[in-house]
Amino acid sequence: MGSISLNNINKSFGSTEVLKNINLDIADGEFLILIGPSGCGKSTLMNLIAGLEDLNSGEIIIDGLNVSDESPKDRDIAMVFQSYALYPTMNVARNICFGLEMNKVSKSEQESILKRVSGLLQIDHLLDRKPGQLSGGQRQRVAMGRALARSPKVFLFDEPLSNLDAKLRVEMRTEIKKLHKRIGTTMVYVTHDQIEAMTLADRIAVLKDGELQQIGTPYEIYNDPVSHFVADFMGSPGMNFIECIVKDENLIIESGGKKYEISIPCKDALNKSNLDVVLLGIRPEMLTEVQPSAVGNKFIQKVKFDVEVIEPMGADTVAIGQWNETEVMVRLSPESGNSAGNGFDLQVDTSKAILFDPSSGLRLR
Amino acid sequence: MSSLKLTKYNIGRAFIYLILLFFAFLYLAPLYVMFTTSLKDIEEIRSGNLMALPIDPTFYAWKKAWSSACTGSECNGLAPYFWNSVRIVVPAVIISTIVGAFNGYVLAKWKFKGSEFLFGALLFGCFIPFQVILLPMAKLLGMLGLANTVTGLVLVHVIYGVAFTTLFFRNYYVGIPTELVRAAKLDGAGFFAIFRHVFIPLSAPIFVVTIIWQFTQIWNDFLFGVVYSGSGTQPITVALNNLVNTSVGGKEYNVDMAAAIIAALPTLAVYVIAGKYFVRGLTAGAVKG
Repeated sequence: MGSISLNNINKSFGSTEVLKNINLDIADGEFLILIGPSGCGKSTLMNLIAGLEDLNSGEIIIDGLNVSDESPKDRDIAMVFQSYALYPTMNVARNICFGLEMNKVSKSEQESILKRVSGLLQIDHLLDRKPGQLSGGQRQRVAMGRALARSPKVFLFDEPLSNLDAKLRVEMRTEIKKLHKRIGTTMVYVTHDQIEAMTLADRIAVLKDGELQQIGTPYEIYNDPVSHFVADFMGSPGMNFIECIVKDENLIIESGGKKYEISIPCKDALNKSNLDVVLLGIRPEMLTEVQPSAVGNKFIQKVKFDVEVIEPMGADTVAIGQWNETEVMVRLSPESGNSAGNGFDLQVDTSKAILFDPSSGLRLR
Repeated sequence: MSSLKLTKYNIGRAFIYLILLFFAFLYLAPLYVMFTTSLKDIEEIRSGNLMALPIDPTFYAWKKAWSSACTGSECNGLAPYFWNSVRIVVPAVIISTIVGAFNGYVLAKWKFKGSEFLFGALLFGCFIPFQVILLPMAKLLGMLGLANTVTGLVLVHVIYGVAFTTLFFRNYYVGIPTELVRAAKLDGAGFFAIFRHVFIPLSAPIFVVTIIWQFTQIWNDFLFGVVYSGSGTQPITVALNNLVNTSVGGKEYNVDMAAAIIAALPTLAVYVIAGKYFVRGLTAGAVKG
């Protein structure tokens, strides 16, 4: 059906290397997210898969066929663009059928495909309108309809939701996920939004400066990042990174003039690294108010926390303070009633804490 | 209470309108004089006031200018030359517009190595004065066997016009998102299909701009017309010049005026019919949603 193999892909524009030796296998029916900061090469990689840019070296194999030199139309791929790229002078029906028309599909078959696709996306009532008369969400649906009409082997999505407002984005996100469940076609989806990545992906590929940093399930990427960069990129509010001095296999955290020795799970990695100072990575949800039920676990400890800023988010409240002269975000219950200026003992759960080499940013394992 | 108060504001306004009216009068006066003079007979012109309305309006001068006034040794009026101009302008406008649209499409959306240089070189064509190419072009037309022919003049105007039409279309097409081209490529459309199905339908405003521009330029051209035409293929501008300079007996100002208006009417008509698209087309990039 629609498996994709990218082998040793290199791409440069002039003297700028945009992609460096990318290797990636995408299984048939998989939902793969390409994520990274802007300029990391994720859109270029997508354009290479689509055939809209030429490779410098490497090969692209779709469904067992080497398509590296094929033109876009011969790759059996459909793409949804960030700007939707609907043909402004054609009505919705013709927008959806244009690809079929170009591929010389018979009129009657076009009709039946149009009916199926517009029903699936609930755009039956819009078929006579021009794109200019549609709202953002409707345009998005039409763009997906155009991609669906040709029943391609692979769908490519290039930041399809970034032009929508926040509420609609969440709705369409769910719809895309449902759509994938229903049709089961391979999807490659570019985004810089880590929440989209976490919620949609079967697997996430994180790119930085044209290099693949890590490929894994959302759980792996979130809980087991290979580097400071990946850990920092995923999660909102982001992971806390605190530089700590190592003392007897423990880490020192200084708060409010007092020093605390923190026990951590990854002692082997710490010993192996021989570092005096390491970067402790710990997610805000592991820093909470003291929960009596958790006390007793050896990775649960208490550290004094002075609240500088409170950011209520509804379901949680994020509080910001300082440890080791670094800003630290913690996640409190909205009922805690804390306000800026308060100081109290915080429960620190290091069972999922990870360590990084402060100079290279790489994970200590 | 709607009484007009003579506030400072109103006085300022009145002053502005006064100045505007003055300049409007200044600009329209020649046209007024031309039109009224063309309706007077020669006696009235000699004796009467230049600005006065005709006492007994007559279309004698218009008829004569169209069909029997002398342009040099022949006395058939402007009619044959009017049709010469039409035969030059229509194909020249159509060909240069189509070539320009195609050039613009390629230069905006199918960039190739050296395409920017090519565009720059084409732009250069907009700034080459007519006089510079007179001799080499005469030589070229001679070599092609097109000297003194309508086809030759069409060719000259197409070559000279392509620089402008390319510029217009290229700049218009640059504003059309490249993602449309990419989407159409993925939909299986090729180079020509994308041009036909995606770009041409979007191009109405720029077609109007280009057609008005080219029509006006070519219709009003005198220099190429006088240099490259033969006695039977002169455009109307050249004939008008000959008509005004041929005097049999006294100068017939009314015929000269009528002839000048006849020569100018088509460009006026084109602008009146398509003018609102012209303005819309020139500002299209700014308001596109």
